[in-house]
Amino acid sequence: MIILENISKRYHTNHGPGKWVLEDVSFTIPRNVSVGIVGGNGAGKSTLLRIIGGIDQPSRGRIERHCRMSWPIGSANMQPSLTGRQNAKFLCRVHGHEDDIPERLAFIQDFAEIGSLFDEPVKTYSPGMKSRLQFGISLAFKFEVYISDEATSAGDASFRQKAADAFKNMIGQASLVMAAHGEGALKEFCTSGIFLNKGRAVWFDDLDDALSAYKDSIKK
Amino acid sequence: MTTIPNERLRTPLAVTLSVWKALFLRETVTRLSSGRGATVWLLGEPILHVVIMLIIFTVIRIKVVSGIDVLAWLIVGLTFISVFKRTSSQLQNAINANRTLFGYRQVKPVDTLLTRAFLEGFLALLVIIITSVGAIFLMDVDLIPDDLGIMLIAFFGLWLMGLGYGLICSVATELIPELGKIIGMLGMPIYITSGAIFPLHNIPQPYLGWVLYNPLVHGLEIARLGVSPYYHVIHGTNLMYLFQCALVSIFFGLALQIRFARRILTK
Repeated sequence: MIILENISKRYHTNHGPGKWVLEDVSFTIPRNVSVGIVGGNGAGKSTLLRIIGGIDQPSRGRIERHCRMSWPIGSANMQPSLTGRQNAKFLCRVHGHEDDIPERLAFIQDFAEIGSLFDEPVKTYSPGMKSRLQFGISLAFKFEVYISDEATSAGDASFRQKAADAFKNMIGQASLVMAAHGEGALKEFCTSGIFLNKGRAVWFDDLDDALSAYKDSIKK
Repeated sequence: MTTIPNERLRTPLAVTLSVWKALFLRETVTRLSSGRGATVWLLGEPILHVVIMLIIFTVIRIKVVSGIDVLAWLIVGLTFISVFKRTSSQLQNAINANRTLFGYRQVKPVDTLLTRAFLEGFLALLVIIITSVGAIFLMDVDLIPDDLGIMLIAFFGLWLMGLGYGLICSVATELIPELGKIIGMLGMPIYITSGAIFPLHNIPQPYLGWVLYNPLVHGLEIARLGVSPYYHVIHGTNLMYLFQCALVSIFFGLALQIRFARRILTK
């Protein structure tokens, strides 16, 4: 369960405090409910995901997380000069899985389908390879909630299918908080929706309602 | 689905400890494998420094400084000051170098600073041991410690001082990047007045009293006293002063880290 209470966020710019990206956002994501976040460019989708994921702090308000939560997968946070293996090992240790690192590394290498590139520095990877690795790493840990910023769009068509299957397998064991532009991906995985507009967030129990609210806002 | 048992969520202490371990190993790999010369330069820098200063001292015909051999005086001074220099300068860049890692909420900026400080302290101790043993056996310099305990205490004090100064500088350069240049310039007078390269004994009062405000002087003088009991320590040397300065700056540095934690993260 994730509880957001009166979350507001603004960034500091070179000209002092910027405008509010999020204003007074409150909602509760129940356990085992997958949520899609919809809204136009710059509506604050990524900011909201970063705050939910705990890698950014709200300027005001409170957030509670009662679950094991992933980092926002898909945004590649890797040390470019280290190899994929070293990066993966680092994350195993950070997440407290010291004892079974070899098994997890084998899984990641296999899932990401990067073969011997796993032992090359990450800076030599293509963007597709990199996001496949990121995706593989995030699946190597059992999280209760996965946070995804367009993660399923990573890689080529066959990998996308594999990623989608992996995600579907997890439903029931884990849920998803996801921001995506593609309506298809959202409908495939999410049941509820959050519509972000002008810094405000509206919760919809049904994703379709959130999508139609978003479409209505564009027409105006 | 049934409720998830609570023990699967790790305690904050367990998270921090695993983060420190992971960061320490990662920092070690990047520190020692960046470029071909990284490991060579680790030892090469202090040795080259000693050699250059030795040439200068030979030219001006100084063989003994305050009762000990000039080479022993230089090696202790330059290797011991490097624990301060390396720790503080590595800390100053730590946050920027590790920015990508803050995408994992377990990793906080202060974690990267502390693990870097441990790594630099460990490496500096290794460098001191290797250069001292090398100088004793290869060049017959009288560097065998007379009082190893007091040398280690001096080393620890200098390391703490580097940690405190680095903690403050890292926040300062993160918040106001222009300050980085000023801190860089400040390094020079701190270095010269520390007594690592030039003997301070001949400085007349009241100027010597001013120089003694530099806490590094006290650490270096005591470290040299540890090598030889015949070394004439500068009048007014007080190891407690070094520790007082170090603890105050660490406290201040950690307070700044807490105060500006959010600002550093969302930059």
